[in-house]
Amino acid sequence: MADNNGDSKIRAFANQSVGPMAIALLLLVIWQVIVIAFGVKEAILPTPWKIIQTIFTHWELLLAHTWPTTSECLLGFFLAVVIGMGLGILLALFPQFHSSVYPLVVAFQVVPKVALAPLFIVWFGLGTLSRVLLAFVIAFFPMVVNTYAGILSTDPLMVRMAHAFSANRWTVFCKIEFPNALPYIFSGLKIGITFAVIGIIVAEFVTAQRGLGYLIVFAEGNIDTPLLMAALTVLSLVGMVLYAAVVALEKLIITWDHGQRLN
Amino acid sequence: MTNDIVHVQVKDLRKTYQTRREDIEAIREVQMAVGQGEFISILGPSGCGKSTLLMIIGGLLPLTSGSVAVGNEAVSGPRRDTGVVFQAPVLMPWRTILKNVMFPIESLGLPPDDYHAHAHELLEMTGLGGFGDNYPSELSGGMQQRVAICRALIHNPNLLLMDEPFSALDAMTRDTMNQELLRIWEEFKKTVLFVTHSIREAVFLSDRIFVMSPRPAVISEIVTINLPRPRDLSIEETPEFNQYVAHLRAAIEH
Repeated sequence: MADNNGDSKIRAFANQSVGPMAIALLLLVIWQVIVIAFGVKEAILPTPWKIIQTIFTHWELLLAHTWPTTSECLLGFFLAVVIGMGLGILLALFPQFHSSVYPLVVAFQVVPKVALAPLFIVWFGLGTLSRVLLAFVIAFFPMVVNTYAGILSTDPLMVRMAHAFSANRWTVFCKIEFPNALPYIFSGLKIGITFAVIGIIVAEFVTAQRGLGYLIVFAEGNIDTPLLMAALTVLSLVGMVLYAAVVALEKLIITWDHGQRLN
Repeated sequence: MTNDIVHVQVKDLRKTYQTRREDIEAIREVQMAVGQGEFISILGPSGCGKSTLLMIIGGLLPLTSGSVAVGNEAVSGPRRDTGVVFQAPVLMPWRTILKNVMFPIESLGLPPDDYHAHAHELLEMTGLGGFGDNYPSELSGGMQQRVAICRALIHNPNLLLMDEPFSALDAMTRDTMNQELLRIWEEFKKTVLFVTHSIREAVFLSDRIFVMSPRPAVISEIVTINLPRPRDLSIEETPEFNQYVAHLRAAIEH
């Protein structure tokens, strides 16, 4: 039965994927045809086929720039998860802390974080630190807000039930509030990972040292649009893989029906 | 009282809630003496403060004045020898049925290994033997409330507090649950305080019924139910049963 189940899941996934993939393929064909039919210059818009060719001919260059982007993105994301979740938990558990700190958090959230990139360069230089910190500040807020909201959404009756069985504050947090917050935390993680990618790319634009963001700016300077589009394609793939990893982790951890569909 | 050992003693209990505009008197004066192993119902109209009374006895709400003692000890907070069943099952959706039942063992800091067998035994007894590894969302409302009863019994409490546990269930499921509850009670002989606004339910289950007046609440009458045990649903057809029901209906309306 279990095998059958697995089979049917794979089949359902395949059935779901057929439609979108067919449409994507159709759009690529239309793109290809239009570029050729109207004789669009390669510097304006290369054909999809040309982009694929560029990815294969420049794969070493692309790979060399993919790794720093990915690792710095993960580092910034990791910091945002640890510190953001920590702050979200503190805000939810200590009302005094919340009333004094949360207004500052909200005030800082209004600042367009991307605009901090030049300032970070002044403070932390052109290296990894500036880029990681920019990814961190962008991915940080969804983590804080979602963790906080998740803990606060705990049913008061559930807490009363725990008290009835002599649970202390720590037990209530670990066994009731935190598990209750997990679906919210995962929606924060999904927003956070995409935000972290944005942060790294913007930082790479500005610091112009290495990474796919740097490669995009470099290719643009040389009017090498096929390379620009190739870097963009690889970047999208990196983003998709990171997002899929978070979704896979979510499926692994949240095995119950939590009645929320936040995807 | 059917036996001499007092298990739960409530004296001169008064409870007022402070709201921003005024003080609301929820319970004016309640006296109760409940014997060891008695099945007691607290019967009254909605909003009369009967749930408040139960929560005070369970140590989950503070009292304004008077005293509550369980087993000669003044109640100052939740007690380890008390099990509580709420109106809703309040199961944790992220835990399997078995792990939900085991929650009190964890929160009380008892060794889980010593209670696994008991958990399985309780699930078996309530007809949930095959559902230990299921999640609450996969069970019906009646089954979920049975899980809540197992959870309230897992740490072998000698006092069971039940706050309108079957009021959310349909009439047929409710009849079944009442019979099952009596069967469990016959087996364990714990003291039960059962809050309800259903007269028939109270008569069917109880040794004695404490009738509460509308707010501010006092105990307006104590009715001893002299119906033979063990009871099953056929008892509801007897004239004696219906005399009790008629008497209590009159008592609540006046």
